[in-house]
Formats: sequence, structure tokens, C-alpha cells
Amino acid sequence: MLEIENLKATIAEKQILSGLDLSVNAGEIHAIMGPNGSGKSTLAQVIAGHADYEVIEGSVEYQGHNLLELEPEDRAREGIFLGFQYPVEIPGVNNAYLLKAAVNAKRKHQGQDEIDAFEFLKLAKKTMELLDMDQSFLNRGVNEGFSGGEKKRNEILQMAMLEPKLAILDETDSGLDIDALKAVANGVNSLRHSERAIVLVTHYQRLLDYIEPDYVHVLWEGRIILSGDKTLAHKLEENGYEWVRTTVSS
Amino acid sequence: MNQNSLSPELLQKAVHSLPEDNLSIMRLEAADRFSNMGFPVKGSEDWKYTDLSQIADLTSQWLNGSMQENAVDRENHNTKIVESVTDSIDAHWIVVRDGVIDSDITGPNGTTIKKISTVNKKIVTGNDAMSVFNAALLRDGIHITAATPLKKPIGILYIDGPPSVITQNRAIIEIEEECQLQVVEVCLSAAVGKQFTNTVTDFSIAAGASVNYVRIQDRDFEHTSVNRVNALLEKNTIFNYNGFDLGGALTRNDIVTEIAGEGALVNLNGLYLASARQHIDNHTNIIHTVGPSTSTEEYRGIISGDSQCVFNGRVFVAKGADGTDSNQYNHNLLLSERAEIDTKPELEIYADDVKCAHGATVGQLDESALFYLRSRGLNLEESQRVLTHAFASGTLSKLTVEACYDYLTDLLDNRLELLVGAAG
Repeated sequence: MLEIENLKATIAEKQILSGLDLSVNAGEIHAIMGPNGSGKSTLAQVIAGHADYEVIEGSVEYQGHNLLELEPEDRAREGIFLGFQYPVEIPGVNNAYLLKAAVNAKRKHQGQDEIDAFEFLKLAKKTMELLDMDQSFLNRGVNEGFSGGEKKRNEILQMAMLEPKLAILDETDSGLDIDALKAVANGVNSLRHSERAIVLVTHYQRLLDYIEPDYVHVLWEGRIILSGDKTLAHKLEENGYEWVRTTVSS
Repeated sequence: MNQNSLSPELLQKAVHSLPEDNLSIMRLEAADRFSNMGFPVKGSEDWKYTDLSQIADLTSQWLNGSMQENAVDRENHNTKIVESVTDSIDAHWIVVRDGVIDSDITGPNGTTIKKISTVNKKIVTGNDAMSVFNAALLRDGIHITAATPLKKPIGILYIDGPPSVITQNRAIIEIEEECQLQVVEVCLSAAVGKQFTNTVTDFSIAAGASVNYVRIQDRDFEHTSVNRVNALLEKNTIFNYNGFDLGGALTRNDIVTEIAGEGALVNLNGLYLASARQHIDNHTNIIHTVGPSTSTEEYRGIISGDSQCVFNGRVFVAKGADGTDSNQYNHNLLLSERAEIDTKPELEIYADDVKCAHGATVGQLDESALFYLRSRGLNLEESQRVLTHAFASGTLSKLTVEACYDYLTDLLDNRLELLVGAAG
């Protein structure tokens, strides 16, 4: 589904990704771990198409097509979802409005009719229940005045409504207390699907206790230097990131 | 006399062409004064950025009779436009076409609506040039006295020209003690073409009374308007103003509120949307003569194309007006590099115990919010439209006359669509 080869990317002329390779197939959950500044968020933003990041070398193929030539909105409509580390507050834009506009943008792209208002509300309410979210969130401004946990739940709500093929969740666990973490993990687990790939970008192993990955990768200075199964996350937790460096260089 | 003055003979002739009635003396006196004053000149203190010299020329030509009047099928055209408003907003409507008031204007119970020419009272003209000009060539105006609250707002629809080129509108609205009144004013053009409308509205609000006043200006893009609102507030009164300026070639508003009684509250909220070569100038003046009293003010502007907007917010706190609490904000969204906003707070405070806050912002659409929306599948233009709309909704949420909410949201939706489409 996603094939990244030798990806090099910069922001404001500073190189962050320096030859990253990653292959993700449908049905898989990948965890990308790494210390601060290793390029985790950059990878997420590049896949979503943020204009501040410039790809200077390498390729990203999504479902057999060059992803890098697509506008951010077209990537979304083709099934890519980025769960933001810092979801943006947009006062004056109704949460339900955005959800519906997003769902309809995708449906239109796929040649489907707009979602029926009743259908939409039913689906939204069901998902919110799963995420332990109060329904009043639908009528509030997008992320406006939401707590950290509420913002992350709102991201998962959007993900559930959009049913992406590839979801990249950037530090979805940061700033969450244990209840919120469980609710978010619940939501993500309910979205596991044989035709859907999920990439979890995280600093800590904690999230992986609740969402079990098939693969774990370690990102270091802009490259993936070590990959393994879920046990790798535990080793990292025990030994710290320095351990990876010594392991890899030896 | 200045370079924007009119010939006294022309003015006299114009006054004499109007019907002889109770207003004749007022007109002649005002014509005499205006001959000496002339139109305001750009660069003078209150008219730093706004140029009426074209209007001075237009007026001369028109009074000369050298102006070509655009013949249009006025009746039919007018009727459609009038209905588009009166069907959408549930109000007691008074329709004023080219300064001519529809004959049947008896007010609902407890409210008296008359033509100014039939009211036996001396009309206060005002001292600024444009109010004097208004008095000189005023055909007639509306006089409203509200004694008991109404369920529905009073609606005033000003629909002007052509063939009329220059129109004076005047409304005098008196709200008696403890009464509440809602007023919706809609300003439209009957057809395209160069024209000029000069409107003066006076509110006098007796103790304990309140007014919710919404003014919606959506005139043709060649239409120039100068508009002045004077509100005098007695003890424990409220004046809520929501102004929406969407159309017009050149628009100048002067909103002057004077707090003359303690416990009074003034809320001014304005939204201006400018594109192409539009020019919108908002001057507000809040005078706290006594305290404790409160004023809040928030003007928002969305400015695109080659347009220019002006916001000048004066707050005057007189000596002894202690306990005055005032805040003023002006927020601007610039959608084009060529668009211009000149924003200026003007605080004059002569009392000791006063809280006055003010602030102005000028910015573009938030890039991170744009990316967020696009990452959810909304295209660039739609994302811009959504964010622009969100900015405007800050004013819409303060609307005090519910009856015009739907009409306004439709109007704003359409206008914002154009604005975002033409941005850059």
C-alpha cells in the first residue's frame, strides 16, 4: 500500500529525513518509534502533504501511484488520514460541519452521493459513544477549547467517519491520561481492518500496550535503523534509545 | 468654500424644485450653510482616506441638469427587489424609493410613524457638512415614535436610483421610556450605475429604553453612500448596533453615540466585506458624558482585491464620567497583498476612574488551519471559504435582531463565495 524509498526531506532548508525506507501493507499496524527530533512528525507531515516540507530525494508510492504529486486534499480523498499531534483549533467552524464536509468530499471523489443527514448523525453518535465522547462536541467549534484528550478523541472520531485506507497517527498518545488513552486505543482497535493500514508514530511504548503493532521501527536521525516485531518496543523501553545506536553500530 | 463646494445658485435652484412644505425653511437655511462648507475634502482630519471629490462633481452635474439619467424599468425591477427583502425578513416595513416614502406608513399599535414634513417639530440638522447637505436637499424623512414594545422589528428599506442620481434619506426615531424597539435597515440599489445616497438616522433613547438596530448595506458596486447614525442615550438605556457593509463603491459610515445618562450601554458591532476596488470607511465615536457607563465595540473586516478599508474608533470619556468601562477591537482579514486597511483607535480620556481597552489585528488566513482542513479532504478554495466564514461568524453571532438572521446568512454566504473566489 505504501512504499517509501530513500526519502530525504527538509524544512526551512534543514534536512530532517535522510534516506528513509518503509513498506506498509494493508491490514498491518506499524509503530514508528524514535527520540525527539528523529523525524517522526516530519514523516507524518510529508505523507499528508504539508507544504512546508520539501522532498529533495526519494519516492513515496501509495497504492501504486506517486503520492508526492497529489495535493493534501486529494491524498485525504484517496484514503490517507493524518491524526495530528497538535489538532488545530478553528473557532467558528462547527465540528459536525467539518466532519460532514470531509465525509462528503471523499464520497464525491468516489462518485457517491452525499451522506444522508440521518445516517451521518447515527454514525457520528455511535462512534462518539465508543470514544466516550459527549455528543455536545458535535456542535462546538472544531477543537475549540477542547482538552488534550478531547482533541485526540476528536481526531479518532474523524478517522472513524472517514474510514481511511492508511491512517497515520502522530503522537496520538501524548498528553493523554489513562482513561483517554484507553478510549483512543479502543477507537483505533475498532478500526483494525484487513484492508486498512495504520502507522502509529510514538515516542513511548505505552500506547503499544493497548494497540498491538505487527511491526516496530526505530527512527534515528531521519532514517529507520532497526525494525522488528512488538518485542522491539519492550527492549527499547527497557534499554532506551542509546541502546539501539550501539546495537546498530556494532 | 473649498474645491468641493457647490455653486449657491445651483443649490437654491435644487431646493426650489422640491415641494413647498414644512421643511422648506430648513432646506433653504441648510443650502445656504452648505454653500459655504462644501463636501469634505480628502486629507482633512475626519476624511483622511476617503475622497468625495467625485461625488461633488456628480452633484454639480446632476444639479446642472447635464447628468444623463438612466431610464430603467423601475417599477418592475423595484418590486422584485423589495419583495426579496420584505418576504425574507418579518418586519413592519417602510419602503423608501429614491427618497420618496411609500404613502401608507401608519405604524403598528403603540408606535407612531409619520413623514417628517407632517411632524410639527423643529428638525435638528447637525453641524457636519454631510448632515447639512442632507437637510438642504431632503425630500422627506421618516419620523417614528415608539411607546410600547413590538413583537416584530420596524423595517426600513432604502432602495435608490436610477433614474434618481442623488438621494437624501432621513429617519428620526424616538424611543420612549422603558420601551424596547428593534429596527432593521436594508440599503439596496434598484439598478446598476453611478449614484449617491446620503442618509442620516437619529435615535433618541429615553430612560430605561433599549434599541436593537441592524443595518445591512448591500448596494451596487458603483453606488456611493455616506451614512450617519446619531444615538443619544439617557439613563439605563441600551443601544445595540450591528452594521453589515457588503456592497457599494465607496461607503462612509459615521456612528456617533452619546451616553448622557448613567448606566447606559452601547454595543457597536460591524462587519465589512470589501473586494475589487471597493472603499469602506467606518468612523465611530462613542462619547461617555457620564459614568458609570459601558461601551463595547468590535468591527471585523474581510478585505480582498484592490480594496481599501478604514476603521477609526474614537472613544471620548468626559471629565467626571467616572466608572466608564469601554473596550474596542478591530480585526481584519487580508485576502490580498494589494488590499489596504487603515485602522486607528482614538482614545480621549478626561476622567480618572476609567477602564478602557482597545486592540487591532491585521492578518491572513491561518496556514495551519488551512492545512488541517485540506488534510480532511476539503479543497483549498473551500477551506479558505470555511475559514473566512468562521471569521465573519464572530460578528454574526452578536446579531441582536433574530428576524434578519436567515436573510443575512444567505447574503453573507453568497458574498463570501465571491470574495474568496476573487481573492488574490
